[in-house]
Amino acid sequence: MDRIDPRARFIVSLAILLAATSTWNPTLLAIVFAIAILWYASARLSFKDTKLGWLMISVMLFTMIVVNTLITGGGAGGVVPPGGQLIWPNGFNLFGKHFVIGLTIERLWFAIAQLMRILSISLAFIMIPYTMDSRAYGATFSKLGLPDRLAYTMELSFRFIPTLARNLQVTMDAQKARGFELDARRGGLFGKIRGVAPLVIPVTMNAIVSSEDIANAMDLRGFGQRKRTWLYQLRYHWWDWVLIVFSIVLVIVYMVLAYKYGLKLFSVPGWWYSLFK
Amino acid sequence: MSDKVEKKPLWQFGTKQVVYAAIGAALYAVITWAFNLWQIPGAGNVGVRPSIVIPMFFGIAFGPIVGFIAGFVGNILADFLSGYGFWIWWDLGNGILGLIPGLFYPIIHNYRATASIIKGEISVVLGSALGMGLAAISEMWVSGADMNTVIFANFLPAFLTNIVWGLILLPILMVAYAAIMQRSGR
Amino acid sequence: MVDQTPPVLSVKDLSFRYHSRQTLAIENINLDLHAGQVVLLAGASGCGKTTLMRCINGLIPHSYNGSMTGDVELFGQSVIGLGLSDISRRVGTLLQDPERQILGTYVLNEVCFGLESLGMSREEMLPRAMKALERLEIAYLAEKETYYTSGGEKQKVALAGVLAMEPDILLLDEPLASLDPASAHEALRAFRKLADEGLSVLIVEHRVEDVLAIKPERVVYMEKGRITYDGDVAGLVEVVDYGRIKLPADVVMRRSQGKPVKQFQPAVPKVDPESEPLVSFQDVCFQYGAENPQVLHGISLDIRAGEVIAILGHNGSGKTTTVKHALGLLKPTSGRVLLQGVDSKKLTVAESAHTIGYVFQSPTQMLFAPTVREELAFGPTNLGMPKPKMLANVEWAIKTVHLEEELATPPLALSFGQQKRVSIASVLSMRSKILMMDEPTAGQDYWNYQAFMDTILQTPGFDAIVFITHDLDLALTYANRIVVMYGGRIVADGTPQEVLAEDEQLHKWRLEPTSLLSLNRTYFERTGQFLRAEQLAQLIN
Repeated sequence: MDRIDPRARFIVSLAILLAATSTWNPTLLAIVFAIAILWYASARLSFKDTKLGWLMISVMLFTMIVVNTLITGGGAGGVVPPGGQLIWPNGFNLFGKHFVIGLTIERLWFAIAQLMRILSISLAFIMIPYTMDSRAYGATFSKLGLPDRLAYTMELSFRFIPTLARNLQVTMDAQKARGFELDARRGGLFGKIRGVAPLVIPVTMNAIVSSEDIANAMDLRGFGQRKRTWLYQLRYHWWDWVLIVFSIVLVIVYMVLAYKYGLKLFSVPGWWYSLFK
Repeated sequence: MSDKVEKKPLWQFGTKQVVYAAIGAALYAVITWAFNLWQIPGAGNVGVRPSIVIPMFFGIAFGPIVGFIAGFVGNILADFLSGYGFWIWWDLGNGILGLIPGLFYPIIHNYRATASIIKGEISVVLGSALGMGLAAISEMWVSGADMNTVIFANFLPAFLTNIVWGLILLPILMVAYAAIMQRSGR
Repeated sequence: MVDQTPPVLSVKDLSFRYHSRQTLAIENINLDLHAGQVVLLAGASGCGKTTLMRCINGLIPHSYNGSMTGDVELFGQSVIGLGLSDISRRVGTLLQDPERQILGTYVLNEVCFGLESLGMSREEMLPRAMKALERLEIAYLAEKETYYTSGGEKQKVALAGVLAMEPDILLLDEPLASLDPASAHEALRAFRKLADEGLSVLIVEHRVEDVLAIKPERVVYMEKGRITYDGDVAGLVEVVDYGRIKLPADVVMRRSQGKPVKQFQPAVPKVDPESEPLVSFQDVCFQYGAENPQVLHGISLDIRAGEVIAILGHNGSGKTTTVKHALGLLKPTSGRVLLQGVDSKKLTVAESAHTIGYVFQSPTQMLFAPTVREELAFGPTNLGMPKPKMLANVEWAIKTVHLEEELATPPLALSFGQQKRVSIASVLSMRSKILMMDEPTAGQDYWNYQAFMDTILQTPGFDAIVFITHDLDLALTYANRIVVMYGGRIVADGTPQEVLAEDEQLHKWRLEPTSLLSLNRTYFERTGQFLRAEQLAQLIN
């Protein structure tokens, strides 16, 4: 992954997003899903680093798929037409009790499609922060066509994250020294929300006051007067071009299949029904 | 205070705005991350999201572009810091949350005045409705859920949390900002 | 001093008024700078030195609105009409706080920032950046993250970023403000070297005594927007008010002879060595998490009623970490801290606040309330103080810092010096037994911090006072006990005269001996204690 140009990385991930959201066709989704898995694997991220992200995605997928799609059905309502064949038309017995669930064969199939779609997108994007050098953002966005000022903003944000985090901690300590406790619940919801003011106000106002000096420091070194160059080196290699061409082809093929050949819509293959006979 | 009313061009993006946008985004990310870390329990449907006021306030104080970046980039960075990946439609929604108050920026001069604070509060509600609305609708397109689910599972909790925090914290920040403006004589 | 070469910079009859202000910020300034010279521009806060700098580096009129008359010429050419990017190649500016000047996440990126703005290619900028780093002898930092560099290193990195643009003139805005004495001396030597290499260096600084060590060719003194002195060092120390600007101690002693001296009597009670200590550190060790190195090694220290303790040490020696343990913001990894006999592990920070009132370094990191009154009420209310008592304490605290008329003002609208006093008052109002202050003089000029320290130390109501500082003179003037920290250990603990006895020791601890210290040593047999220069003058007569 280190050898792939950051611009190419963004383009591939974006292509996966576009392709995955263009269709509900299970076969097409399965193909994108496979591409996304390969793409993610090529980054060789350790599970330890990414586990928080996966935890969050799992929680989201659980509510979306298990609760909304399988149990209540609302999660599928936008795509799967009402009706369909119930999997357990007569209900079933479990732990000595009788259950009736309105889960249809179609919705179960949809849940699988939904899982592939969301996972593809997650796989394509969860890796970006772990594989991008914070120094590369400015050059990458600028070369992707953003104006210099906008491209630089994100890089500057990275610079101030640790400083502001430390300031927040110092303010927290300073207020604690005045007997402040964050979870002291006074005055219900309203009081609780106002209770963050002793933290948020000093940190925010301090940051705004520093902004004047920071802007001066930038102006004094000629920021924004001419077209900017970047110390960070970006160079396309042949493999980057292969990836970019592949991404463009992927998106075009999916768009054509989805909109021209009507493969945009959700469908259930015959063999899936036969599984439940 | 001088009698001359200062001109406030809506779409200006000079060095100062670059800094405000970058600082706003970093602040949003840091505050989100810190409160995730401290794990303060929420109440009912309202989560703990003090950071949400940052894009709103930066919009009101420095214009729509700054507000948008503070929310959009801020949310991206917050997800980066917490390791949550990248959710473009929610990032955009948070950007709009800052952009809408930013549209009120040219008509606010005295940040302490009651009229200004009312404008600020209106912008909070509009921004939250539009921003979270857009994000929720995108969720429909991406995950294929129906309107009902999207409204109750995605839109309402986010909208409620945002307006409750925004409505209470924005005026406090506006008054504090009026004080530092008074000090620097701006 | 007459210099025959044409000046690189020439300020002519310059006046400026900010758009939002009624009065002129600077008036009729005339000033020439020559290549290879160090010029010191001195003056108290608000004298107009920052405005003058902004006129020279182009921020005025490019970023600040106002009306300007007169002219600034660079190499005989008027700056009016030049863009900031043209000026920035000629005039490099180092701002006061390197933390706000550094824009790159990595050192090399920071140094290249200006070159990127000029549109230089990577091949062109790399050698220039490396040359700038080598000039300051910090090439080894190139691949380091800027956030993780020390205070002294940060300033050099920021300076390298300015030097990479190869300016002819260097403006330094209070470059010593954030540095400890050893780093300050190192920085000053670097500035001298740059001037010797041909740069023209203008240092704006109120720590006059420190700058005199590198023998500036010329000194300019400003007061109320005007230049009131322009000449050599020997002349300056005779004319300026020694209460406003810190001058060498022997000069102050000579000039203050026969003049009345302000009485100074600390209000803490007499020390009783037999009394129960208020705070007791017992072999305290500390590390942030098991994977990080230990930062405090076996700290043992008792604080008793009547003591005024200065904790002295270089930046990063462990002073703040130690004091945070007293308040329970940090808990020892091993050993224990007792507050009036109770283990700090059994106390919340709020409970510890009854014993210790801790004032953080920067007031802006704690002020938030809409009025000063509410700011002062915040602490006592959190501690659950009954309302009548709380109101009485707020009243007392505001009187102590002389800001009664500002009770209804928002603290954020006050000047820095006033904010500092409000931050102290907001801790005073809790009526803690011990007052602890982290770098109480930071960000204030000499006159302000003297007045401030005098007031605080003469305020009754504390059993003991502890302050953290890297300013040796502050410690020897105000403390009756000095604790020196170095590398996470207490390396000396005793009366000022015991602790500060040998220069050699001080250098080892990265502390720099001062003129006041050597003066006090000279007269110690006759005084029996360490005093400020004005008091010495009175006693010796």
